[in-house]
Amino acid sequence: MKQNGKIKDFLLWTVLAIVLGLIVSFAFLPLLGVDPVDSLKIMLTETFSDKFTMGNILIKTTPLILTSLAFAFTYKANLYNIGAQGQFYVGCICAVATTLALQTKLPGVVVLLLAFAASILGGGLTGLLIGFLKAKFNANEFLVSMMSTYVVQYVMQLLLRTALQEPKHEYLKTAYIDNSAWLPKIIPGTSVSLGIVIALAAAIFIWFILYHTSLGYRVRVTGLNQDAARMSGISPKKMCMTAFFISGAIAGLAGFTEINGMQHMLLTGFESDIGSYGIGIAIMASANPIGVIFAALLFGTLQVGGTALGHSTDAPASVIDVMLGFVMLFVLMSFFVRRKLEIRKLKHQKLQKGEA
Amino acid sequence: MSEAVIELKHITKRFAKVLANDDVSITVHKGEVVALLGENGAGKSTIMKILYGLYHATSGEIWIDGKEHKIASPKEAMALGISMIQQHFSLVPAHTVTENIILGNCKGRVDIKAKEKEIEALAKQYGFDVPAGEYIKNLSVGTQQKVEILKALYLNARILIMDEPTAVLTPQEIDTLMAFVKNYVSKGNSVVFITHKMKEVMQVSDTIVVMRNGKICGTVKREDTNEKELAHMMIGHDLETLQAPGGDDPEKKKKRLIVEDLTIQKKDSAPVLDHINLTVHEGEILGIAGVSDNGQQELCEALYGAETPTQGKILLDGRDITATSVKDRITMGMGYTASDRYRYGMVAEMSLAENMLLKASYLKNWVSHGIINWKKLRQYTERQIKEYKIKAPDCNVTAGSLSGGNQQKVVVAREVDMGKSLVIFDQPTRGLDLGAINYVHKTILGEKNSGKSVILVSTELSEIFALSDRIAVMYKGRIMGIYKNGELTTEKIGLLMAGYQPDKEEEA
Repeated sequence: MKQNGKIKDFLLWTVLAIVLGLIVSFAFLPLLGVDPVDSLKIMLTETFSDKFTMGNILIKTTPLILTSLAFAFTYKANLYNIGAQGQFYVGCICAVATTLALQTKLPGVVVLLLAFAASILGGGLTGLLIGFLKAKFNANEFLVSMMSTYVVQYVMQLLLRTALQEPKHEYLKTAYIDNSAWLPKIIPGTSVSLGIVIALAAAIFIWFILYHTSLGYRVRVTGLNQDAARMSGISPKKMCMTAFFISGAIAGLAGFTEINGMQHMLLTGFESDIGSYGIGIAIMASANPIGVIFAALLFGTLQVGGTALGHSTDAPASVIDVMLGFVMLFVLMSFFVRRKLEIRKLKHQKLQKGEA
Repeated sequence: MSEAVIELKHITKRFAKVLANDDVSITVHKGEVVALLGENGAGKSTIMKILYGLYHATSGEIWIDGKEHKIASPKEAMALGISMIQQHFSLVPAHTVTENIILGNCKGRVDIKAKEKEIEALAKQYGFDVPAGEYIKNLSVGTQQKVEILKALYLNARILIMDEPTAVLTPQEIDTLMAFVKNYVSKGNSVVFITHKMKEVMQVSDTIVVMRNGKICGTVKREDTNEKELAHMMIGHDLETLQAPGGDDPEKKKKRLIVEDLTIQKKDSAPVLDHINLTVHEGEILGIAGVSDNGQQELCEALYGAETPTQGKILLDGRDITATSVKDRITMGMGYTASDRYRYGMVAEMSLAENMLLKASYLKNWVSHGIINWKKLRQYTERQIKEYKIKAPDCNVTAGSLSGGNQQKVVVAREVDMGKSLVIFDQPTRGLDLGAINYVHKTILGEKNSGKSVILVSTELSEIFALSDRIAVMYKGRIMGIYKNGELTTEKIGLLMAGYQPDKEEEA
């Protein structure tokens, strides 16, 4: 009963915050000489008019679910993995390299499975390295993970100029991967691939790990009370490395869904925002793996809608970021307002009890 | 006696629910050392923090030099010549001695060299060997304390309040400090010395004020008193009737835990545990008495595997477990309720069921193949809630939402079940109401009767006397002696707790 009321409360507040965020961001449009009412109409009709664009929402959502899961998992251990972008790139490199090396030599399914495993392992090991530095030398994981993205980015540039460059050596990209190694499309008339299913499964998997396994339990205990963890035979250092490995693996998995499911090649500057969006989404969902799905879906929708807005009106493309920024700001503010109100209510109840 | 410098009149201080000081009146004269003696939590620090302007009295007056003053902040206290050396120093480790001393008391361009000379001269005047240009982080704790004192002297303090100044010092450093105190008061200044150690009190003070439970229970001149009387005053008169241990003699039973020569000594500091030897038998409660922070927590943690001993051996049922981890010791059937349960014993944000799982995440009780059986765990938790009469609506509420007593019941319920062979209770009833205390005591006795070995650490002597078969007294990381319950009188145990061997003339 009580739980239900809480969820209802939460949904109401969040929807209200999203609407407010949109209103405020649309209020900026007249400054750019764009009619906000018209743009809203365009945005809605363009986004939800045809199947293909609606499919795009799911395509955008897929990697966002994964990178925000990556942040959410370490967040539960009271650690900060700011480097999901880098781990995603490592996943991309592993997936594309495995696929290019083995495609046509092995059956497509096997290539896909190997690319899947390679991306997870690559991302995971990158994460593990950060976790190891934290556990062993007490390096600041925030900084190390953040900077690791840059290192990976330049390694990727290097590989795109050398070993992985397309045969003609003209552009900074790899060759297209063979059709046989593409993730199958699941909705006809769209480009939506199995990737979205993988992302959803990953969210459920992470939820299961966190709340139904002793490993996830230990991660959460470490995150909430490190001293109690130590006193219970749980090694916070081991938990740090484990959490970072899993986090990195999930971010790496996004590399697989994007390469084999969507882009079918790797190019420089590929999906360069999903790491930072992931952080925002995870925070918006209070790091709840199931909540992440919906928050990512919201971001995906806004991205598609914002792109449509950029195409069809005079508004610049950066309008998307303004919109996302405002929506996030309002959702976060709604948390604080809600908590303040709750505390006030509790205090009120206590006072009444005291007087009675 | 010369004129009074400080008169605290009928000061009462209330924190939310706790009465920390209750009608406390203290007078400090010129050239006098006043020792404020009492157990931890007696309200000694509170009354001095009120004088120093850190706390504000709920009621009462402060008179200085015969005039009433309202002291709102340490700054105002310092302006009146009052300085306080806190238990935890307030120095900047990355700055030099001089920089620390002049901090907040210099303007514009500073001639560091001149200041350094000035401070060195000041130090020499009091016989302190303090390098004025050295960085704080390179100094020993004793020297850091001297810097704190110099800071006060630099501001021309004439009343120095020292909160447990000897707690962190070596015996030699204590001697220097005592010499300084004598020298300082001979110049017409005054010192208030907060301590729970009787030896120092007898060594240095003129007047002794004994506090208990926030009240003053005696003000005496040093010449008119002795350690015995002070111990009596400090601990209280209500512990005369001692309960003899009941049942058969546990010492004839099998030895369960043997601790040999256990020592923890960090580099370049006094040992926290000093060659501890003890034995606990099956079905026996070994009480460990002592003023808090005399190594009890370290002993418990070393026994539980959370602290690594630098020397010595721990044997459980004949097996050497010195090198094993906390995880191993939980598996072997050890339970431990830490004195700071909030920090070490529970996760406030997690549900009661999740808290029950805390020590068992590696065991098979509710986990199989790494997957938690929530249904079983919830059923178990509900049963424990009923059995221990924990006031909670169900097992899904967070531990943090319960009252302190009920939180402790949760921890005790869990640890008693975890500790199949040995349960260590560190201050199990601290902060609990009488009903909860009674329940915990009954549980402890029940565990003993079921054949478990129990170690009970407590600063409450009544608790130790009521439950233990044998009593060990700890002082500064040492066991002062292990006695059968009934062999010790309150006076004797009080002296042992203060570091005196009552049978011998000199301290052992």
